[in-house]
Amino acid sequence: MTRQDSKVPRRQFLKRAGAAAGAALVAPQVIPAGVLAAEGKPGASERLTFGHIGVGGMGGYHLGDMKGRADRGEVNVAAVCDVDEGRLANASKMAGPKADVYRDYRYVLQRKDIDAVVIATPDHWHGVQTVHACESGKHVYVEKPACCTIEEGKAMVAAARKNKVAVQVGSQGRSEPDCHAAITYLRNGMLGKVTKVTCWHYASPGDDNPVPDGDPPPELDWDLWLGPMRWRPYNPRYLHGVFRWLLESGGGQIRDRGAHVMSCALYLMGADRQGPVSIEAKGTAPTKGLWDSAVQMEVTYTFKNPDWTLIWAQPGDKPPKGDQGHNDYGAVYHGEKGKLILYGGDGGTWTEPKAREFKVPPGGVQLYKSPGHKEDWFAGIKTGKQTIMNVEAGVATANLTVLGNISFVLGRKIAWDPVRAEIVGDELARRMMSRPQRFPYHL
Amino acid sequence: MEELTLDALILKIKDKDDKVRAAAWQAAGKVGAQALKPLAGVAKDGELEVARAANRAMWQIVRYTGRPGADDERKATVAALIEVFTDEELPVQLRRDVVWMLSEIIANDEFNPADAAEMFKNAEFRDDMRMALQRIPGDNAIAALKAALEIVPDDFKPAIACSLRARGVEVPNVPCVKLKPTKQTKVKPVGR
Repeated sequence: MTRQDSKVPRRQFLKRAGAAAGAALVAPQVIPAGVLAAEGKPGASERLTFGHIGVGGMGGYHLGDMKGRADRGEVNVAAVCDVDEGRLANASKMAGPKADVYRDYRYVLQRKDIDAVVIATPDHWHGVQTVHACESGKHVYVEKPACCTIEEGKAMVAAARKNKVAVQVGSQGRSEPDCHAAITYLRNGMLGKVTKVTCWHYASPGDDNPVPDGDPPPELDWDLWLGPMRWRPYNPRYLHGVFRWLLESGGGQIRDRGAHVMSCALYLMGADRQGPVSIEAKGTAPTKGLWDSAVQMEVTYTFKNPDWTLIWAQPGDKPPKGDQGHNDYGAVYHGEKGKLILYGGDGGTWTEPKAREFKVPPGGVQLYKSPGHKEDWFAGIKTGKQTIMNVEAGVATANLTVLGNISFVLGRKIAWDPVRAEIVGDELARRMMSRPQRFPYHL
Repeated sequence: MEELTLDALILKIKDKDDKVRAAAWQAAGKVGAQALKPLAGVAKDGELEVARAANRAMWQIVRYTGRPGADDERKATVAALIEVFTDEELPVQLRRDVVWMLSEIIANDEFNPADAAEMFKNAEFRDDMRMALQRIPGDNAIAALKAALEIVPDDFKPAIACSLRARGVEVPNVPCVKLKPTKQTKVKPVGR
């Protein structure tokens, strides 16, 4: 992938940035960058104002990271939001007195002083909250996987485009230095034509401790936690964190870590806008408990023009540990001239020394190097440049995971029209491209 | 696993060994529509994990008989699911699940819009019916949603309106409330 030209001319950007910097000298601390920026466009201001929606797990990490930036005077954190009052109280302590607290994310979206939101809720909320944030004019960093259904993904892309906001999906492997080294190695032809990418990953867990439905704990707003999903009684095996082992709210390792490993695969293969033509999955289901994601599975994605194959496998063929001592998951890129391993694919991404040490020859292909996943997003907000894990790329990756699970659930191969982004030739599978959402938590 | 008979399926679904149950529900598809009503009975009366296996077997049948080129099997499944759904002796949560099963395989000409709209009078099924109809292609689902709009309480009209809009139908005079916040926290910001 090459760096896309800024949508905002450099001279115009500098003018806005200068105006914003001047205004900031006399403005109160919490002033939205959108107010400071010219023409109401996304912030040329140095200091963006953020709201955090979902503050447990990765959400807590993001809040801590952003609070550190706030303490250094780089950003403002104006709001934290969670449906779990215990988590919200902890987040308030972390964010400090300048951050307001909310249970309902829509209060955050109503705030005119907030430029952007970090969404780190369970997967089943990502699509709806991203669309709503875009419709409210907010820039979005949303945790991976981007969407739970094909329909959600289309809505996310449409909302981001229509509202001209910068969306960054949290598959941060693309911003890792070794991912840059690997793509540079591949794009300079060091493997020749790459025709196959094989991923490996350990299995999804089964639920060894199933428990009956019961009453939700008092600190939890079960209705809001369920959000777009159809109503059902509370069960502690839905949350926290373990939501990802249910197909409806998570989807297993293929979606949790596949959204990292396969994000890198699409990136390295230049396939964000290609899409497979067929998907065939097989796997083993859990034998008991609430969780229904595949424990082990293998999914074969067939791409055409150019032709290549992507295989997601749990466990797959695990290579020996690399020089960084990691081999829990990753992908092997198989080319005419050899192979390259990209270990990890998330915040921990490593490649082989031959790629890390590769120097681009004169006339070779130089590629954009992300300054960091959040920094890349900030640049997208301020300049309009395409983010490295933009909404289209995030949806393309998530679609792979959705389609893999649909094929697994149906027990049959499915055909995909990558241009129309639709399943073809199987009416039931087509209907699984969408999952109507509970009122009022809908797209 | 070798092909199951209906009796063998039900026996294995009730087995104490979770591995036997899992193998059974995964092989249930080929047993077909005839198993849906007995499985619903097991889902109603069985212990937690047996009921879950029965439910998963029902889903497996829906997805297998809904495969391309198996229209007769699909129709039989639709008929059996409607029978299960209308059985008021079965738990509401199971019958809601059946609404979602139907949303995957029922065809436009296999239900009457007025009958579907009648179900909106029952608050326990209202939102699941709405979501299912939103998903089912064809004019009958839209007609059912329009008919339901006339009979539901005022506070549910925006829900139906959102489904109709998702199907490309304009619904003037019924506001979209999806961005209107409603839930207040009891947590006080630290340090204030």
